Amino acid sequence: MVYVQPFAEEMNKSRRMAALQSRALAEAGYAVLQVDLHGCGDSSGEFHEASWESWVDDVLMSARWLEASQGGPLVFWGLRTGALLASEAASRLGPDQRLLLWQPVTNGKTTLQQFLRLRAAADMGQSGGKGVVQQLRADLEAGAPVDVAGYRLAPAVALGLERARLGVTQPPGKVAWLEVSSRERAELLPGSASVVEDWRAQDVQLWPEVVNGPAFWQTQEIEDAPALLPATLAAADKLTQEATR
Amino acid sequence: MDVHKEVLRVLDEVLSLGGRSASFTRATPLLGSIAELDSMAVVTLLTTLEEQLGIVVDDDLEGATFATVGSLVDFVNEQLSA
Repeated sequence: MVYVQPFAEEMNKSRRMAALQSRALAEAGYAVLQVDLHGCGDSSGEFHEASWESWVDDVLMSARWLEASQGGPLVFWGLRTGALLASEAASRLGPDQRLLLWQPVTNGKTTLQQFLRLRAAADMGQSGGKGVVQQLRADLEAGAPVDVAGYRLAPAVALGLERARLGVTQPPGKVAWLEVSSRERAELLPGSASVVEDWRAQDVQLWPEVVNGPAFWQTQEIEDAPALLPATLAAADKLTQEATR
Repeated sequence: MDVHKEVLRVLDEVLSLGGRSASFTRATPLLGSIAELDSMAVVTLLTTLEEQLGIVVDDDLEGATFATVGSLVDFVNEQLSA
């Protein structure tokens, strides 16, 4: 199983849950590879030198290495924008791929928008947040990197992220779609439900589920979503069942 | 939908308040008074409100929106009826 991390600060916030889950999966007999993408975390390079394409390549390289060293079946496990990268990488390896998605971002444009807003929020106190996001977008489109929340964001990352969508590439074979919500009796987010429907129409085998817990990838303090751990183990078993029998 | 209640729930979750929001009223000051509400949290708050309440806010952020619980609830109500 190859874990694909989310974007910027969400990567840091989710390290603990990713580690807890990886250990639980390993105890259940799954080999899990967690890599830091180019310019992220402990990986080499600088964040502003990365590109969306280089991240897809990182995921592909990790998947090939893991499959060669551990054998299959291979599962791409992606959190938030990691789900976009995972699905993109999987589609390049052909049909019938297995995806384990945690709170997937379905449209990268939303994530970029929200990230750029960090600058607007930071400027809100002093110069006012008006027009900030438009200016950042203009800079990116002109090929210039922008500085947001301690990250120097390159156009090659921003524009790749902006174009990334779930459900536009070759459909995978099997997908476990897990969301976490603090609401009671929560359903899949509206954007998710529409991708799930599209995939079902294309004969993708799908296991959607919403578990109760905090949005650990973005909460102010590092938090756990304990219900997600067993749900993910069960999902991993479903994804790999046929292949192991 | 009880917007006031939903806003408090989201505030509590995003800022990791551990139930402190139960004592919040419309007059409770937010920005500048709640240490957890930094610029990162402002954006997360907006994102979560957008995702969970199905609103879309524009990018011209104003500090006044986040002044109190009441101003934030009013803002969400405006977006819901927009």
